[in-house]
Amino acid sequence: MSGRKKTNWNKTMFKQYFLLVLPGLVIFTIGLIVPMLMAVRYSLTSWDGMTKEKPFVGFENYLSLFQDSDFLNAWWFTLKFTIGNTIIQNILALLFAVALDKGIKAQKLYRTAFFVPCLISSVIVGFVWLRMFSNVLPAINEALGTNINFLLFGDGDTVLSGLLIANNWQWIGYWMLIYLAGLQSIPAELYEAARVDGAGAIRRFINVTIPMLAPAITICIVGITTGSLKVYDLLVASTKGGPGRASTSIIYQTYTTAINGRQYGYGSAMSVTLVIVLLLVALIQVKELKSREVQA
Amino acid sequence: MKKKKVLSVFLATALIASTLAGCGAKSGETQSTDATGSNTDNTAAATEAPADASAEKVTLSVLAGQSTTDAGIEDMIDEALAKKYPNITLEWECVDWGNDFQPKMQQYMQSGLPDIMIGKAQDVKTYASQGILGAIDSTYTDRVLDAANTNVTIDGKVYGVVYNALYQGVYYNKDMFEENGWTIPKTQEDLQKIIDACKEKGITPFASHMADTWSIGNVTMQFAMNDVFNKTPDWGDQFRAGQSSFSDSKDFQTAYSYNKLIYDNTFKDTFSIEQTDCDSRIVSGEAAMKVSGSWSIQNFLDINPEFNFGIFPFPNQTGDSKLIFEPNITIMTNASSEYQDAINCVLDVLTGDKELAVEIYDYTKTAAMLKDVTPTFTNPSQEDIDAYAAKGQIVDVTLGNNQLVWGGFQEENAKDIAAWLQGDETFEQALKASDDRADASSAQ
Repeated sequence: MSGRKKTNWNKTMFKQYFLLVLPGLVIFTIGLIVPMLMAVRYSLTSWDGMTKEKPFVGFENYLSLFQDSDFLNAWWFTLKFTIGNTIIQNILALLFAVALDKGIKAQKLYRTAFFVPCLISSVIVGFVWLRMFSNVLPAINEALGTNINFLLFGDGDTVLSGLLIANNWQWIGYWMLIYLAGLQSIPAELYEAARVDGAGAIRRFINVTIPMLAPAITICIVGITTGSLKVYDLLVASTKGGPGRASTSIIYQTYTTAINGRQYGYGSAMSVTLVIVLLLVALIQVKELKSREVQA
Repeated sequence: MKKKKVLSVFLATALIASTLAGCGAKSGETQSTDATGSNTDNTAAATEAPADASAEKVTLSVLAGQSTTDAGIEDMIDEALAKKYPNITLEWECVDWGNDFQPKMQQYMQSGLPDIMIGKAQDVKTYASQGILGAIDSTYTDRVLDAANTNVTIDGKVYGVVYNALYQGVYYNKDMFEENGWTIPKTQEDLQKIIDACKEKGITPFASHMADTWSIGNVTMQFAMNDVFNKTPDWGDQFRAGQSSFSDSKDFQTAYSYNKLIYDNTFKDTFSIEQTDCDSRIVSGEAAMKVSGSWSIQNFLDINPEFNFGIFPFPNQTGDSKLIFEPNITIMTNASSEYQDAINCVLDVLTGDKELAVEIYDYTKTAAMLKDVTPTFTNPSQEDIDAYAAKGQIVDVTLGNNQLVWGGFQEENAKDIAAWLQGDETFEQALKASDDRADASSAQ
């Protein structure tokens, strides 16, 4: 009797949850799954995005991708940008979080100051740093009589550094807060026990803080990596993929190919490769990092 | 339990309703646009349009692909339209022509075109070939200069109203030229002498803003018009037919190499500065010349209304360069719009209201393409333009732009030229990259 009641209750709960999930599921399917499937379909055509005919070309677009130097260069830039961001943002965010966790003076002020840039649109950040590198910093240079090269966006060799500065300035505060929340949830007894065992500050950080922060590290690494792989708006507002093609990301290349270049089918093939890479990167990272997580 | 169930149903309904409401608002707007008007042919209804327009209220959607100089003219048009046809309202969507006009058109070709589209003359060939543009009645095209109608005519029908024009060439500081006794260069040797003289005096020969990759694409077409299309008017068609290529064409290689001449004689930070900074530097006397177009005039005169400048064509190899003429604002109409009468009313205002036309030309600092309309703004370079026009030394760049389209071709080539100037690609690689995208060079 009680088993039947339980089954009925489960069914009722399932219905209720399903009803609640349904709107989101519908929006997700219409907004994401359907377009993604359409992109796969278009990637098998030579459609220009305008005509009614969508000539089927099989896997021709995918084969062409691997001989397309612009596509490969765009991936190369995207990978460098992603790796740079993942390393710099994680390290600096963690260091800032540790510093703020030590109870320094004006902690709230620092926290706010670090966090505010992530509230600004990436487009604005792009404009701000474009002006900084082109006008503000060179003017300071001139006023001080120094000769530092601040024209980072104007040279293919330095544009990546400029973009990393802009992107890290924007996002470090956000990831710092996640690390800070993680740090504050580590039980003090663990540090106490480590101290009793004779562990110094560095050993406590490596053997207590880092393992206990593993869930936060997973979130930050996956978030920064996938976010960096999708970089677009920052580029539109600052370098427009230049100079030349020096800062063309894979999404930027996909957009210009599909829309401006009227090669919708080919551009769709590019976008499919990006989705596959994003899924693979996220899956591998989550699986690998989850296996290292420990519970207090 | 029942309460929970009711709550969950309520929440789900609320979410769905709010989603539908969001979508519905858009379709409601479209309905209001589609609610009135008769489905008549654009040309047939033209002469009756002003009379018909007095009755029902109509909202026409307008997609305006604008150059930097054009932003703001929509308010002038709205005001003039409200005076003559108060029942017609324009719903504007203004976008940057270079970056966003084509993507928007691509989007609207799937979902339904706006009633009126404003682009450039070169767009006519792209979209008329898709069968989506309405032919413009002679009532309106007759008000436009005949020369302007030529490149928007396909199979005897005119698909665009060319409203204004830009002139492109080398803008130069007239006072500086006079003070130094420099004469207008006609050959590359003449130009080199001025470059050398500038350097001796510590003046940057050319102002440029290569951070805007479009400027590289623009000047390259200017060079190509005088060194390539001047000799071979169908070079683009030959290129697609495999009869010529960038890698083999000495003329196109020369056109590409002029970019290096500019790069070697311009600001060190050219890849870091944008147009406004660049224009302010030539106005302040830091540089002597700038390969550009009429879009710079607005900046020149805003920065210094007294700036005295002229224009000459960039010298080619044969010393017979022509000044470049570019039909700019071009009004196109949706062939399947239900509001042909109202569209004609708008065309009537745009081509018939001379006061509005002068206001727009004065604001954009551009040349008139309407008959019997003369802008009143002071254009120091007008004297030069008139002189070249009198000698027949003006060429319409639509010839080149129609054969080698901007979106997906010229702008992509410009990126490779920039990469070459930066040392990231060789000259041969940049040429080959242009050859490799031959399929994207045509609008069709």
